[in-house]
Amino acid sequence: MLKYTLLRTTQMAVVVFGVVTLVFFILRFASGDPARMMNPPGTPEDMVQLTREKIGTDKPLMVQYWNYISGLARADLGTSFRGSQPVLDTLLGAFPNTALLAVVTILFSSTVALILGIGAALGANSLFDRSVLVYVSIALATPSFWLGIVLVLIFSIKLKWLPAIDMTGPKSFILPVLTLAVVLTPILIRTIRQSFLETLSDDHIRAARARGIPERRVILVHGLKVAAIPLVTLIGLQLGMILAGSYVVESIFNWPGIGKLTLDAVSNRDFPMIQGGVLIAALAFVIVNFFVDLAYAALDPRIRMGSK
Amino acid sequence: MMKNLRFLIAIAVLLVLATACGPAPTPEVVRETIVVTAVETVIVTQEVPVEVPVEVPATQSPEPAAPEGPSGTVRFLIAENFWADWDPYQTTAQSQMRIEGQIFDYLVDIPVLAEPPVPMLATEWTRIDNRTWEFKLREGVKFQDGSNFDAEDVKASIELASGATDKPTVRSQNWVKTTVEIVDPYTVRLVSEQPFAALMAELSDTVILSADDVANNAEGIKNQPNGTGPFRLVQNEVDRKVMEANIDYWQGPPKIQTLIWEFVQDPDTRLAALMAGQAHAIDRVPPQHLRVISGSDSLKLFSVTGIESVNLFAKPGRYPIWDSTPEFREAIMRSIDRQGLAGLVGGETKLATSFLPTETLYSKEGDPAFTKDIDAAKALLDEAGITGSAPEIEIRCASGFLPRAEEVCAALAAGLEEVGLTTKIVTTDLGALIDDMFSEGGTGDMFHLSWSSNGDPSSHLMVYSSTFAWYFGDEELQSQIDLVATTTDPIEREKVTNDLQDYMWEQMWHVPLYNSDFSIATTANLEGLDVRPNFKTRFYPASITP
Repeated sequence: MLKYTLLRTTQMAVVVFGVVTLVFFILRFASGDPARMMNPPGTPEDMVQLTREKIGTDKPLMVQYWNYISGLARADLGTSFRGSQPVLDTLLGAFPNTALLAVVTILFSSTVALILGIGAALGANSLFDRSVLVYVSIALATPSFWLGIVLVLIFSIKLKWLPAIDMTGPKSFILPVLTLAVVLTPILIRTIRQSFLETLSDDHIRAARARGIPERRVILVHGLKVAAIPLVTLIGLQLGMILAGSYVVESIFNWPGIGKLTLDAVSNRDFPMIQGGVLIAALAFVIVNFFVDLAYAALDPRIRMGSK
Repeated sequence: MMKNLRFLIAIAVLLVLATACGPAPTPEVVRETIVVTAVETVIVTQEVPVEVPVEVPATQSPEPAAPEGPSGTVRFLIAENFWADWDPYQTTAQSQMRIEGQIFDYLVDIPVLAEPPVPMLATEWTRIDNRTWEFKLREGVKFQDGSNFDAEDVKASIELASGATDKPTVRSQNWVKTTVEIVDPYTVRLVSEQPFAALMAELSDTVILSADDVANNAEGIKNQPNGTGPFRLVQNEVDRKVMEANIDYWQGPPKIQTLIWEFVQDPDTRLAALMAGQAHAIDRVPPQHLRVISGSDSLKLFSVTGIESVNLFAKPGRYPIWDSTPEFREAIMRSIDRQGLAGLVGGETKLATSFLPTETLYSKEGDPAFTKDIDAAKALLDEAGITGSAPEIEIRCASGFLPRAEEVCAALAAGLEEVGLTTKIVTTDLGALIDDMFSEGGTGDMFHLSWSSNGDPSSHLMVYSSTFAWYFGDEELQSQIDLVATTTDPIEREKVTNDLQDYMWEQMWHVPLYNSDFSIATTANLEGLDVRPNFKTRFYPASITP
């Protein structure tokens, strides 16, 4: 286990280093000079040069890269072009907000998906099953930017029940979580339904029923444990995705998280902030994947970490 | 099986009810409490009439019902992100200039552009000669750190801003080098290197710093500005600036206790926040939202035609026929339905009748009007011998920058194609557009962009001058721009500005399309907001009623 953890940690470090390096150079080679973005269009070159000197983009590319990488080693992600605040502090301030949104969303989506997915599997081809499948189709076709705005219109502006923007308390989670859940649940429901349909016909379920174990226990313990294995991968991926920043949802709801921060930074060519946002995204993905692998082993004794 | 199904359905229904049917929200933070209360009051009493559209004079007084002393929180969602830091005079970015007006003061103010300046930190002024002005300064004014304001501060500020010191500043591009002689602690003489006609306009835009800060705290004031203005910065985040009332303000304490300026990029999000009562003012309302706001009893709309020219800028050297053939330029002008474009953008957008926006000092309508005339445009192309032979014109548009840019560019292309020209519209974000404009390998011939200024002709004409990228090497144009900048007699200056406008209209180096709508929407309980065509937006002495 220790050997496996060390190996995976090394792999994660290499992946993250590769991602941040790639992003660093893509940003520099992509169009959009941040110094020009910070001045009105047409500003004379010598004035723009003053801005470049101020934000450090006047230095040779490799010098900028060295400064970035050496800073990274010291946990210094630089300062934002806009505002001059340390990027790390800003990201650390935003990450808990994104993480909280992600956790609540995953808990809510998983619960809803489990209820609907198991219900649909238990009553395959029933009216409930068909209704669930209709929901899945509609949800799959619903863009989150549209849904978010519609929910705000109904619940915040018309009914005035819920806040339209910001993270201001438990109620402010409802609309962003619902919006994200509509994106996440369809694939979860389909996976659970399919997985349960297969599991329910397994020998061990028949054996459990034959032993007289109550049906609820058969489903929620014996069935769920097996059916949950593909679910873990899926939830892990979705958690990683939200942790990396749900750009659209955070932007619609002015959620003070990594997604909004990175999106604003992209439009302003705030290189240090974009790099920081991508670093968080990369870390979130590799760490969640690592834990998903560990969870696999816990759920399925046939899988052993590091075994050949 | 059915028992289990019923159990599961019951759980699902309970979950949906629990999430969707909560009672009205109890605000978690102070600012939200104020917002909710304010909106409810407006709905119930409807005491404040809706004003659509309204041009608010600078001297507008707040409602007498406003409480004494600062109270309440106002949250203003802005459309343009903030500048890097508070390093003085290192930007001409509009967002920074606007927020600086809440924290700093100026020597003079120009509330109505066509009228003379009014006192601020200077109480009176006298012209000594065409390069020298003497200013009497206000006594008893304090900076937010408690230090006194006097002539030393004016000297340090003006010399730094105007480029008269060793430290280069971006702001100096608007200035003529100006030194300051201290006559006594409350009297200064400003001496410009050459006659400087826009002096008063620039003084109304140049914040006054503390001399001590300039000399000894240059790094500190990059993060903590120290002005004499009505609000002081207490929280400085990347996209959110929180200010508190400066109760020692020399004009009397502000009526707003906490003022928050926050960058929210998406206009739909800004509107939703306003309508839900989570913001009190939103910036740059796009035309498609104007009807929604004007139809609401609980909201107000401040709409003016901004001092912003939206042009089809031609990049010198990219399209040789444009550079060399006046008939071609006029043909382009006549092929575009510019009035239609102004209508398409909507709000208070107005047809550009000059290279100076209508709200600029001495703006004069060009003659002829160059209305759309396809036959005349075709005749001009024939006359120039380029019918059917002109290469494709690449027009670059930026999405997410100017309102309805994509539709405007499509309409531009349609007009040009009507006279037999071929066009290619390339839509990118602003960064890519600007890169194309400046890079040697850039391919755009014309660019849909804007330029805004403070209302003085020199400040606006700068974009057409030899220091900017849009200059075609027209020496006559530069000489006339210089003349406008250095003619200090108002009557003579109006004449030379009119001559220059005539010349520019005749040469038509770029295509003036329209002057932008500038709309700010607020909740009805926010009174006394000062919104000006030059985009200045001042929250002193505005008030918010509970």
